[in-house]
Amino acid sequence: MLIPTACNECYHSYNTLTLLKAPSACRRKPHPTASVLYERKLRFPAFCFPTISTGFERRPKPNTLPEVQEGLQLPRVRPQHQRRLGHRRRRGRGLFGRRPSVVPAPPAAACSPAPSAGLLGRPRRPRRAADGRRRALPKPEGGRDLAKIDSRPTNGRVVKSCSEAQLSTAKVRTPIQKQQSLPIRPIVPLVARISDQNASGAPPMTVREKSRLDKFRQLLASPNTDLDELRKLSWSGIPREMRPITWRLLSGYLPANMERRDLVLKRKRDEYFGFIEQYYHSRTDENHRDTYRQIHIDIPRTNPLIPLFQQPLVQEVFERILFIWAIRHPASGYVQGINDLVTPFFVVFLSEFVEEDVENFEMAGLPLECQRNIEADSFWCMSKLLDGIQDNYTFAQPGIQIKVKALEELVSRIDEDVHSHFQRYEVEYLQFAFRWMNNLLMRELPLRCTIRLWDTYQAEAEGFSHFHLYVCAAFLIEWRKEILSMVDFQGLLMLQNLPTIHWGNEEVGLLLAEAYRLKYMFADAPNHYRR
Amino acid sequence: MEAIWIYQFRLIVIGDSTVGKSCLLRRFTEGKFTDISDPTVGVDFFARLVEIEPGKRIKLQLWDTAGQERFRSITRSYYRNSVGGLLVFDLTNRRSFEHLKDWLEEAKMHVQPFQIVFLLVGHKCDLIQLRQVSREEAEKVALAFGMKYIETSAKDTVNVEESFTVLTRDIYERVKRGEISIQEDWEGVKSGFVPNVVHSSEEAVKPGRRCPC
Repeated sequence: MLIPTACNECYHSYNTLTLLKAPSACRRKPHPTASVLYERKLRFPAFCFPTISTGFERRPKPNTLPEVQEGLQLPRVRPQHQRRLGHRRRRGRGLFGRRPSVVPAPPAAACSPAPSAGLLGRPRRPRRAADGRRRALPKPEGGRDLAKIDSRPTNGRVVKSCSEAQLSTAKVRTPIQKQQSLPIRPIVPLVARISDQNASGAPPMTVREKSRLDKFRQLLASPNTDLDELRKLSWSGIPREMRPITWRLLSGYLPANMERRDLVLKRKRDEYFGFIEQYYHSRTDENHRDTYRQIHIDIPRTNPLIPLFQQPLVQEVFERILFIWAIRHPASGYVQGINDLVTPFFVVFLSEFVEEDVENFEMAGLPLECQRNIEADSFWCMSKLLDGIQDNYTFAQPGIQIKVKALEELVSRIDEDVHSHFQRYEVEYLQFAFRWMNNLLMRELPLRCTIRLWDTYQAEAEGFSHFHLYVCAAFLIEWRKEILSMVDFQGLLMLQNLPTIHWGNEEVGLLLAEAYRLKYMFADAPNHYRR
Repeated sequence: MEAIWIYQFRLIVIGDSTVGKSCLLRRFTEGKFTDISDPTVGVDFFARLVEIEPGKRIKLQLWDTAGQERFRSITRSYYRNSVGGLLVFDLTNRRSFEHLKDWLEEAKMHVQPFQIVFLLVGHKCDLIQLRQVSREEAEKVALAFGMKYIETSAKDTVNVEESFTVLTRDIYERVKRGEISIQEDWEGVKSGFVPNVVHSSEEAVKPGRRCPC
């Protein structure tokens, strides 16, 4: 479905492919110069085009618009990135897949609480929607804050979207009422249910999830798995029971052809244990001693709070995997952080044999054959992952340096307030984002969230190496309010200890949706919103 | 209300992997100790106020660096903006003691054109049985390096406060004597929020106010 819409920046019309996705960025060439755009923004600050627009609503051309009176309170739309996930969730927009397929484009002014919202002859937002929005806020302070931000005089910035307001006016909220009744979240223990699912205590399987599971089953039952289809399906999360096989397939470890699978698996597993036989004894050699020593002291420190990883048997598995990988990749060798990356694979492949409570499972109770298979599969899948991001760990870690720079550049375009706030207090991106890149956000999120995140990373073409950048940007903007309330450099402490302990699938889903939107809008548009 | 301090010092904590840098800092800033913690990746930040004289507080910005070699390219950029450092080794690990010289050279190379005041810290002094470095030996090395030496234990809270205050006081004295001065584009020492009264008395001893000719 082609939807005409307009560039937020130059107001040039273009088509988006589907309503379900964020609009692609404007590719108008040449793009109007910054000064022209800036002038337009100053003159017509009320120009706030929705992300999703039918393109048919009356929109005056800039040069036909009456002069904006000075001192007039102009409506301001809260940009997408100023909104917290929490608010969005309660308004019922989960992943973008849940967006209603037809959304009447609301007037731009509809998002503004100011009574002068009738500017440009557009109707005011219905009262009911406004109340609903207030009620939906978790805390009264949040409400005040929202009002404060909304009613702030427009500073000349063009805001990007008011698609959320569309949702509050559109009559699409009924099917998702369930989510609105979750203001108090149950407290989730630190390591609860690491391998799955909703932290909110939602019922284990809804009709939608059931049908997804069936789709997975169908897809995986065919003699030649359609990997593109599988990627599409996996993007929004893989059901727990389908995850081990899907991960093996998506990482490129397992062939799509079913007949070949057993053979390949056997060959690969034998190959891994061949490595062990051949090289593992060299850990005491002069040139490998330091590598092994470092791994050996890091393993007990990997996931220290989860009992599973304190079992000697499990720690030995990790040591072997990491040591073999390290000596086979001398350009990077073992770098702290890589130890974390084994964990999700190990847990997912182990979960094939464990019904509940993976974190307390006794590995020794498992048949030796299964133990060996888990170990070999974890090794190969981790190797595949690292192949794509090896420059993160080579000398001077160029991959990370580049990505942190890219993050900085991206944030300066998507959220100038946050960016300039960091500059003001001399917080450097490298100071907090280095770890985000080096450990793929594993230190910032509970393990269950990392596993869900990796469903998508493996479904994306360059998930770990490229899409991760947009996830980091979305993750940073998620803490926008906290960042902007920083009063000095010490705000960095907050960024080092983000409160994500209660996060589950819902939060990660929203994070990914936002990351997708950012990627869609900015990845191929290096000049979009450049200042 | 924002606490008032006269100076802000930026300190860096360096040393081999698993000598206990993060534990030392966590004990000092949060009063907590955990037996096992994740290895530090890149650089972590901590902060605390210390009172060196009644009414005179100094804010410490503390940078906890990763010990692993591969992270040097990241950690070395922090030397330049530090005025002081804790050079930590593990009393139960001879190798970490032998590497001290490398650490010092690394620091000296990257701190230019500024200088950095170091304190040598022998950590994990609670593990008497496992000790591999004697006090005398460590003191001799400290003397050769031209720095003070202290033995600490984050587990038993031995000398944790002292190590940081000794270093802070050392730097403070040098600032007072004018050996270290506040400079633009340098984060090592900054003058802080001072009420006017205190400020004027500080003004007299404030270094770097020399005749411009």
